Amino acid sequence: MAGQASRIDDTLLVREAQRGNRAAFEELVRSYDQAVLRLALHLTGSEHEAQDVYQEAFLKAYKSIGNFRFECSFYTWIYRIVTNLCLDHLRKRQVRKEDAPVATDASGEQYDVLDQVPDGRSGANPERDLMRRELGKRISHALEKLTPRERMVFELKHYHGLKLRTVGEVLHTTEETAKNTLFRATQKLRGALADMR
Amino acid sequence: MKCEWVKENVLLYVYNELPDDARYELEQHLARCADCTAELKTTRKFHTMLSELPVEEPSPNLVAASRMRLQEGLETAEQGRFWHRLIFDPAVWLRQVRFAPALAAAIFIVGFAGGIATTYKVVSDKGASIASGPVSSPAESSITGIQSISQDPASNHISIKYNTVSTQEAQGSLNDQRIQQLLLFAARNNYNSGVRMDSVDLLTQEPNNTHVREALMYALRYDSNPGVRLKALDSLGAFVKSDPRVRDVVLEALIQDSNPGVRTDALRLLDPVRADSSVRTVLQQLAQSDQNQYIRSQARIMLSQLPEFD
Repeated sequence: MAGQASRIDDTLLVREAQRGNRAAFEELVRSYDQAVLRLALHLTGSEHEAQDVYQEAFLKAYKSIGNFRFECSFYTWIYRIVTNLCLDHLRKRQVRKEDAPVATDASGEQYDVLDQVPDGRSGANPERDLMRRELGKRISHALEKLTPRERMVFELKHYHGLKLRTVGEVLHTTEETAKNTLFRATQKLRGALADMR
Repeated sequence: MKCEWVKENVLLYVYNELPDDARYELEQHLARCADCTAELKTTRKFHTMLSELPVEEPSPNLVAASRMRLQEGLETAEQGRFWHRLIFDPAVWLRQVRFAPALAAAIFIVGFAGGIATTYKVVSDKGASIASGPVSSPAESSITGIQSISQDPASNHISIKYNTVSTQEAQGSLNDQRIQQLLLFAARNNYNSGVRMDSVDLLTQEPNNTHVREALMYALRYDSNPGVRLKALDSLGAFVKSDPRVRDVVLEALIQDSNPGVRTDALRLLDPVRADSSVRTVLQQLAQSDQNQYIRSQARIMLSQLPEFD
């Protein structure tokens, strides 16, 4: 019920925004921007980069809202824009990593200096937090072994709960392809993290 | 065979992506098969483990900062958009149309002389009579863009479609909602710094209103004119103690404003909260390494007045 009402609201707001009403566009932004930031933040691991993705995404949306023809929901449209920017980001990262400086940490393991993992909230147990951060880092590493598309599908499905059908729409592909990509990604991750308890 | 199917679909099951009938069948099978149940357990454990890289909720600061930065970007984008409407692509224009050079000159003058102002007056005395239709006379209204120009090859009759906006006036007191809305709009959106200054000046009379306060903070952060920023700063100064957002914005101005007058003022206004840890940290940095001598010495004085505690 609420979903229906909010879709109608979106349509009205989009039409207004298409007429050049900036306040309407800003209202639309407010309904989606936290989800966009959440996605960009988890994917990039950096507040700064998340903000860049956010800025680019909504500016792009603003400039091309005139071309939005309601062939999909605004939700899907926005997610498409953000996802494409995230994919670009992941591809750039891959290229950088090929000549990235590598360092060795306290346990003798190599890690990429360019790695960024968000510092989780520190609690009362510093040892547990340290372990958490270590696990987080390892998961982050493993995620980086995926191709950008695999990473994106996994991110959207696992971490953000989008339905596979939506994931397919967002990536301009079928639900079936999204499903297979998810399987591949999961397989790779399980392999990479096999020794983790 | 069933186990194979179940193992293939257990991932989808965990993600709640199975259609109802498949889900039912799978659950029925799990009830009878220890192997597949173990597989489900492993998959669930794997998923739990993945949440060691949790999805964090963006902090309110990050959201606010992102929104503000976007607003600035939207303003710049809007400028670009507007220009696009005013300026023709000469190639397209020449291809579509042949008409009197005088009229062409008139259109160009109207387009280019407008500058980045949001409205401008039409040049109406060039001899072409603009089709009347439902539009009021051009002298009263201002043209914001010309949609199309065409000429009938048979009669050489020219038809021009243009968009207009009429300038209106609102009158009232500062308590009037309409007046407030217009002032808030003007503070952010006008390219004439004089108009922005006037609106911020009036807004400083009502800093208790949330929207007004936000507009003042925005002006302090982003206005290109230091006079406007100073005005906003002076009004916000009273709220440095009671509103942490104001304190943060003033602190930001102290750290990175390009105008030394604004920075000095910000430093002075932060005196009531100099014991605050974030302010203290900034004061310490400034006292050590700021380029501006006055600010360095003032920061030192403020720090020396702080009580010692750990």
